[in-house]
Amino acid sequence: MKIFPENVSDYGHQIDSLFWIITSVAGLASLIVLFLVFYPVLTRNKQRSKDEIYVKGRGFKQLKWIYLAIFIMAVADFSFLIIESDGWIKIEESLPQEEFHVAVVGKQWLWEVIYPGLDGKLYTADDIKKFNTLIVPKDAVVHIDLSAYDVLHSLFIPHARFKNDCLPGRKITRWVKFTQAGTYPMVCAEMCGIGHSRMIGKVVVLPQAKFQNELAKMYKK
Amino acid sequence: MSMAHVKKGFWHRFFFSLDHKDIGLQYLITTMFIAFFAGIFAMVFRIHLAYPDVSIPLFGTIGPKEYNILVTNHGLIMVLWLSMGVLLASAGNFLIPVMLGTDDMAFPKLNKLSYWFFLSSVLVLIASFFMPQKGFGGGWTLYPPLSVGDFGYNTAYKSFAGRFFSSNTFVLLAVALEFVSLLMGGINFMVTLFNKRAKGMGLLQVPMVVWMIVIASVLFMFSVGPLVAGTFMLLLDINAGTGFYDASRGGDPLLWEHLFWFFGHPEVYVILLPGLGILAEVITTNARKTLFGYNLILVLVLIAMVLSLMVWAHHQFVAGIDPRAATVFSILTIIISLPFAGVILSFLATLWKSNLRLTLPMKWALAAIVLFTILGGFTGLHLGAALFDVYAHDTSFVVAHFHYTLIPVVLFSGMAGFYHWFNKFSGRELNRFLGNLHFWLTFIFFNGFGIPLFLLGLAGQPRRYAGYDHIPYLSEGHLPLLREIATISAIILVLSQFIFVFNFIWSAFKGKKISSTNPWESTTLEWQTDSPPPHGNFEVYPVVYHGPYEYNRPDTEKDYLPQNQKL
Repeated sequence: MKIFPENVSDYGHQIDSLFWIITSVAGLASLIVLFLVFYPVLTRNKQRSKDEIYVKGRGFKQLKWIYLAIFIMAVADFSFLIIESDGWIKIEESLPQEEFHVAVVGKQWLWEVIYPGLDGKLYTADDIKKFNTLIVPKDAVVHIDLSAYDVLHSLFIPHARFKNDCLPGRKITRWVKFTQAGTYPMVCAEMCGIGHSRMIGKVVVLPQAKFQNELAKMYKK
Repeated sequence: MSMAHVKKGFWHRFFFSLDHKDIGLQYLITTMFIAFFAGIFAMVFRIHLAYPDVSIPLFGTIGPKEYNILVTNHGLIMVLWLSMGVLLASAGNFLIPVMLGTDDMAFPKLNKLSYWFFLSSVLVLIASFFMPQKGFGGGWTLYPPLSVGDFGYNTAYKSFAGRFFSSNTFVLLAVALEFVSLLMGGINFMVTLFNKRAKGMGLLQVPMVVWMIVIASVLFMFSVGPLVAGTFMLLLDINAGTGFYDASRGGDPLLWEHLFWFFGHPEVYVILLPGLGILAEVITTNARKTLFGYNLILVLVLIAMVLSLMVWAHHQFVAGIDPRAATVFSILTIIISLPFAGVILSFLATLWKSNLRLTLPMKWALAAIVLFTILGGFTGLHLGAALFDVYAHDTSFVVAHFHYTLIPVVLFSGMAGFYHWFNKFSGRELNRFLGNLHFWLTFIFFNGFGIPLFLLGLAGQPRRYAGYDHIPYLSEGHLPLLREIATISAIILVLSQFIFVFNFIWSAFKGKKISSTNPWESTTLEWQTDSPPPHGNFEVYPVVYHGPYEYNRPDTEKDYLPQNQKL
């Protein structure tokens, strides 16, 4: 049984491994919690003196274990943040040099994909509009301009670990780099009305040569 | 709850009584009534997800429109009406005056008014189903522009009357009315705590659940303002044609997300704190130990309260906010796990080396701690790490996460409290066999529902979809089976709550009369009076000499020392 869908972007593995790091630390902590709940339950009939039982939990001496546990958890938390920040800065905060630029606009209930025309620039008269199919080159940094016409949408490409909301009135640029050719789903992840679950498109990742061919075909039409 | 004790007519008792116990009961019955529908909604849309073509009695075949309405209202009712109605309003009303050793709330009439507002909010919410849209279907988070529009299916929406008499407007009005109600209730709780404690009761001798409910009410007051303003602007957008959230006219849909979650995240703690308070009472009584680190818990909760006002944008990591701002919220979100870890550890320390009694309320309480910590709390770390949230946001993983926080807190702690205090306020015993059956069915099938959702989320299943079978990557392998397991479990989970409803009603009228007014041998003041407490709660008002959890004190003979008993 595989947990995640196959990863096809160059940064996806960072997100997956963050999950496994947090899960293993949390798993260890879970075992401790289970022990702290079940051990008292199992030993509940043991003879204990009142002096042993009457503990108020005041002062550093009695609370030291709790402070220690909070401290250990703080260390774990901050290591998560440090591990995460590397990926977050790379994926979300920075934009590497673009090799292809495309725009995806959400609309009830389809994806409008805008390719630059022959001039290679977006938002000019010769732009080409397609619906529900995003064709991108393999092994190239693709910038995607996200926005929406009507309500909020969210472009989600599970296999690439890519997700960002599309808002009317804003142009948000995010990037992705596919490392494997193939056809992958792209879905809407933000409730957008009755057609929400039908707002399904596909991402076609082509090797450079084939991609250029496909682009040329689009220009001819 | 037995009628024989109280010589009051039905109308008086259920509509006009100023007694805090009657008002608590009114809240409980009203929220259970509305939650009944929310539970049925969940059952219906879960059936639709696993078996899309099945026609469901009374609902028919579910289309995407009906699906959205069911999902939206399930969320709205469970979060805003059930959770706050039971844990804040109902528990607060039942417990605060009698645990503080006083006759009633500080302002009984304001208390009554708050219930009337609550009832009208429920009625307005129900009315929203009879508007031309047949119910609001824009998601419980009410995100504009979707919540401003007509979802693309209703032409009556064009005129002013059409816009006013719409499900959108009515849902917003219902939310506003409920907030007014809870504000009035919260003021009452606060004033009662500070002004009406029994003679001799210091602020640090107040039972933890009272503190938690009051802190939750204060947090609610701090956070609700922006949402009220936001709701008003949304009402204007719908009815007066303004464009606060309309990007084409200079507005911004992201504004709503900020206003909503500035309330919406503290709201999680508004629900959590009373739940933790109930756990503190049930655990100390059954562990026969004093609460470990009473002062520490209070300090940690106050820290968490302040922090909780600064974490809201973790709901918006990929919603178009600046990624650098997201980093700040990610750090704060991860930090807020620390005070709650401290609180849970204090509870676990209370259990440590105790001769605990594994009673029915204790089973609920222990299950609440285990489920909340392991599957609710720790998955919060996953989602709080903004990088993983890129993938998991708006997938079933999030759905599973918040069900694992809310259900342990609302259902499990709520039930722990219910099974703990039922005999006090009814004077009768609950049926223990049905109680155990209810517990085990709920425990097993809640996990049977929640764990598949985590796995589905990790497989990339987006939430709020009216069916997944047409999407190839979500209909292969084990995923349809997981959805089926989740659905069957959810159905049994909902149905097993009827065991509780039956047990509640049957025991309230026909249950065995209790022989002791303090069957759990507890120390707090509510156990030192009759069951049910008479009008005015105490024949002689108690004087308090000790803290709330004096169990197994070495200088006493018995293993508990009531707060009002001199050594």
